[in-house]
Amino acid sequence: MVGHEMQHGGEEHPPSTIRQYVMTGVILTVITVVELFLSYSSLPHGLMVSLLIGLSAVKFVIVVAIFMHLRFENGLLTRLFMFGLVLAACILLALVSLFWNDGTDAVGGIPAGQEQSAPKH
Amino acid sequence: MAAAHAETQHHTTTGIDNRKLLMWIFLASECLFFGSLISTYLIFRGDSIVGPLPADLLDIPLTSTSTFVLLMSSLTMVLAVFGAQHNRLGLMKGMLLATIVLGLVFLGFQVYEFRHFAHLGLNLGTNQFGASFYLLTGIHGTHVGVGVLYLASLLVASARRNGLGKEAALHVDIAGLYWHFVDIVWIVIFTLIYLIP
Repeated sequence: MVGHEMQHGGEEHPPSTIRQYVMTGVILTVITVVELFLSYSSLPHGLMVSLLIGLSAVKFVIVVAIFMHLRFENGLLTRLFMFGLVLAACILLALVSLFWNDGTDAVGGIPAGQEQSAPKH
Repeated sequence: MAAAHAETQHHTTTGIDNRKLLMWIFLASECLFFGSLISTYLIFRGDSIVGPLPADLLDIPLTSTSTFVLLMSSLTMVLAVFGAQHNRLGLMKGMLLATIVLGLVFLGFQVYEFRHFAHLGLNLGTNQFGASFYLLTGIHGTHVGVGVLYLASLLVASARRNGLGKEAALHVDIAGLYWHFVDIVWIVIFTLIYLIP
């Protein structure tokens, strides 16, 4: 046991009291309340979206790192999960940028503003 | 705690119990699954020709409440894992039960929301928003339902003599990973669907 502790002396350990987990839950709740107020605020759209995505990323990281103990686990698990997460983010960005910039998915396959020049059948 | 953990884990070349490794691989693949569903929603939600549209229906205060419920279920879940790892079986059972109840409350909110939207004219085939919204949130709700059954099976096993045995902490830990994943998916869905106009 002593040897085990010495071997892992430099590692971080998960929270050892219930109070630490409860405080993490309180922080998550506060962030959610802030998000709620932000969504009703009159901030510029771009700023609001950036803040909301940033706050939700903070919540995401807190849950994964502390509640799922990934911060304290073997690095292999972190790499595995990050691989799936980064791949998913790439898929999301690729699909969204592809379809949002594609005028041919407009109604009837005619890009907006070009309806009159299209041939009529 | 680490020593107690080591006793219950099989020796593997990675140093990680294979069952736990499998759950993390599964969760990584689930990232891709939900990433595709969220992409589909983002692409289709603005393309509806007929209403109702997101702005007509989405109720942020109601969903914020259900989000809070799911966040609290993550807290109770991690306390259940804490109880299992510290041989506090009473805490583990109580927190497992609390997590199940909170999961059911979340599902209740979702059923109410679906029925309300259907009453207002949004069904799976109404428009592209309806199709992608019900698909994404419905599949997430299904995951919550599976999680509730998973936790209920652990609770029943913990009530039986030698039901969970020496590996109780590992079983609850792995179930906790699944439950927290369902929570983080909802964190993303809540922000992208409900909060961002």
